Amino acid sequence: MGTALNLTFLVLLVATALLAVFARDLLAAVIIFSVYSLIMALMWQRLQAPDLALTEAAVGAGVTAVLFVVTIFKTRRREEEED
Amino acid sequence: MKRVVSLLFIAALLALLLYVVANMPPMGDPENPTNSSEVIKRYLNEAEEETHCENVITGIILNYRGYDTMGEVTVIFCALAAVLAVLGREKRGKIYAYADRSRVPSSAIVRTMVAFLVPFIILFSIYTILHGEISPGGGFQGGAIVGGSMIIFTTIFGLYESSQRIPQKLRAPLEGSAVITFFIVGILGMAGGGNFLTYAWPNIATNLQPSVVTWLTILVEIGIGLGGAMVLISILFSMIREEEEIAVAP
Repeated sequence: MGTALNLTFLVLLVATALLAVFARDLLAAVIIFSVYSLIMALMWQRLQAPDLALTEAAVGAGVTAVLFVVTIFKTRRREEEED
Repeated sequence: MKRVVSLLFIAALLALLLYVVANMPPMGDPENPTNSSEVIKRYLNEAEEETHCENVITGIILNYRGYDTMGEVTVIFCALAAVLAVLGREKRGKIYAYADRSRVPSSAIVRTMVAFLVPFIILFSIYTILHGEISPGGGFQGGAIVGGSMIIFTTIFGLYESSQRIPQKLRAPLEGSAVITFFIVGILGMAGGGNFLTYAWPNIATNLQPSVVTWLTILVEIGIGLGGAMVLISILFSMIREEEEIAVAP
């Protein structure tokens, strides 16, 4: 049971990391990145590090995501097309 | 050619990392090599009695590694100083327009839920800060949760509402509170007859020492929490504001 849960989390971690890198829409990339942080927080909790899990959930999934979103709204949302 | 080289490099890195992971000691095994170190033995056996923190992590961070945490707090303050040096702080007593470029205004459900939840989130963060030496959490986590709740509030209700609730004359003096609290506690330790950042003052009666240590730890936690929250809020405000002023603060 525990191993299956760990495996699911790890597969989701790799998937979200890859999706965040390859997303063309920067807003989507930021949201996927905050999902990555949320899964990472669950992973810290499974590794019995609740202090780190709290920090990751508050800073990683909450604060940095919003700061990135503000930055995107102040610049441009989509990546420049390569010519 | 570049692709091949970078792929080779990534493959080599992957092989190295997988090799290291395969050789890591299993989690929770008492025979693990880290347990043989003197420092970790001391932490595991004595930390609860020496730091009077049931949550040993808080005890280690604030007590044994007090210097280290003081440096971290200074780094956070310097990050705020760097952001403000680039973006500039808003003028005192002025409220600015903010960068809301979304075409759809936030719905009534979102506004009601945020207005309902933010007080509870702040209550939870106060619990996290004050309970840091007993349960998981502490100043950094609680401060981040306060900052996060105010950031949610600002993104939904705008800079005008939130800068009326946390005016600059309240925010600016509290930004350095983490560093200041650490210095005060450190100098109190010297006044109590110990070294800088000694929590258990040697000059007072032995039976008073546990409560002094607990109260000093809580004081440092409150300082870190307030300072961290205000730093996060100030960074957000300076990022989100536009150049034109829309109102004068009351």
